[in-house]
Amino acid sequence: MAKFLFIYRESTESSAKPSPEEMQALAGAWYAWMQKFSSAIVPGGDGLKHSGRLLKGGLVTDGPYVEAKEIIVSFALIQAVDYDAAVAIARECPPGHTIEIRELAGYA
Amino acid sequence: MSEPRELVEHFFRHEFGRLVALLTRSLGVRHLDLVEDVVQAALVQALETWSRRGVPEDPAGWLYRTARNLAIDALRRERTHARALPRLAEDAGRESPPPEPQFADEIGDEPLRLLFVCCHEAVPAESRVAFALRTLCGFGTAEIARALLTTDANVQKRIERARDRLRELDVDFDAPDATQLRARLDAVLAVVYLLFSQGCHVTHGDEPIRRDLCNEALRLARMLAAHPAGDVPAVHALLALMCFHGARFDARVAADGAIVLLGEQDRSAWNWGDVREGMAWLAKSAAGDELTRYHVEAGIAWEHCRAPTFADTDWRRIAELYDTLDRIAPSPLHALNRAVAEAYLHGPRAGLDHLAAVLPESVPARYPGWHVVTGELQFRLGRHAAAGRAWREALRWTTAGADREFLRRRLADCRPDGGTHAAG
Repeated sequence: MAKFLFIYRESTESSAKPSPEEMQALAGAWYAWMQKFSSAIVPGGDGLKHSGRLLKGGLVTDGPYVEAKEIIVSFALIQAVDYDAAVAIARECPPGHTIEIRELAGYA
Repeated sequence: MSEPRELVEHFFRHEFGRLVALLTRSLGVRHLDLVEDVVQAALVQALETWSRRGVPEDPAGWLYRTARNLAIDALRRERTHARALPRLAEDAGRESPPPEPQFADEIGDEPLRLLFVCCHEAVPAESRVAFALRTLCGFGTAEIARALLTTDANVQKRIERARDRLRELDVDFDAPDATQLRARLDAVLAVVYLLFSQGCHVTHGDEPIRRDLCNEALRLARMLAAHPAGDVPAVHALLALMCFHGARFDARVAADGAIVLLGEQDRSAWNWGDVREGMAWLAKSAAGDELTRYHVEAGIAWEHCRAPTFADTDWRRIAELYDTLDRIAPSPLHALNRAVAEAYLHGPRAGLDHLAAVLPESVPARYPGWHVVTGELQFRLGRHAAAGRAWREALRWTTAGADREFLRRRLADCRPDGGTHAAG
């Protein structure tokens, strides 16, 4: 069983704060997804704050990242047999994100 | 966190259990009294020394060395305990706490290991929780008594019994095997949950929430879930429950430190990352065919997280879940919460009827929650005099600063004429 990192990206224009109703509907959709793939999801994935720090060439600057069209909003860790299985799981995530799927190198 | 006093208090909470666990590993559980004494003494010494000379670079290491040296001194004075000295002296050469051993099946965390020792089957069941809270978390007798809804004397007795049994058995502190781990898991979960609850509903002092306790409970539960013996649905359910509650912490305390009730909380201030993690644990917890109290409580907490507004809360579902919970783990607290759900479903009078129906003699008069709810329901019926009586009774038994302030405000809302313009 391999592990995959799901990196969820959102367009920088969509950072408007959702209403509690939207958030709850989203939570419900995500819960359904998590129920369905409970054996594949490694708990601990999390949302990320929209701004942060950028370290580049020894220089630290604040976000936002002017050149970026999308920002990373959250991540999840998934167990799946291969890329096809991981992609199938990602396909069923609630819509609204670009999802980057990367296998963990597993050097440990 | 730069003031020595604050730092020592911080370490008291964080390091007490770890120091006791580390030293007990060298000295054996039979020396638990001595270990607790030297850890306390080391913390007192830290307060004195750090105030005068500043905080050392490695405060945890300083505390460990000081406690260890105090233990060596004490053992030298009592030659009868000479057997333990070599093990301790071995550690004395090291500058910092000994590295934690990492075997595949061993618990690689001292506090978690000590927790399993506290929950040894030889320790009477009713003693385990009290003993663990004392040994691992440095709770005082009164604090434990409030958490367990019992008396100080009773807690004292339970702790002594646990110590006596462990001393008689001369229990080995080394890792229990997988079967023992499974047998003790229920008691261990009970302690972890109580630790978390104590952090959530602080029973005295001025801090409305003690996140250090909650975080320690979460840390222990995550360690458990990462261990083969603890990677089971009950643990996942408890983790879900704690994540859902933890998600609301920021919204639960107002700027002035007062408790904000669920109905008034800003739901967008909830930590949705915590909710997400809770959902993942809850989903995982559904894997087995076992329904524990943690599953049901996590279900209730999830219902609250799921509702877009307080008004949208599915009280019927929550009432059902409390019925289930009361069947699995009967408790006056569950009956009380069931009455609250009833009041939201069918009005305050129905809530009061439910309270009257379930009011058992077993509800300790000193449990303030009962009076708080009674007062709230009477108030909503317009019976201010009865509400006032209930809230004054609650105030008598409430020691937490934030709760007292909340009750005083509610009391001020009662009309002095005790108005009876009943609404329904």
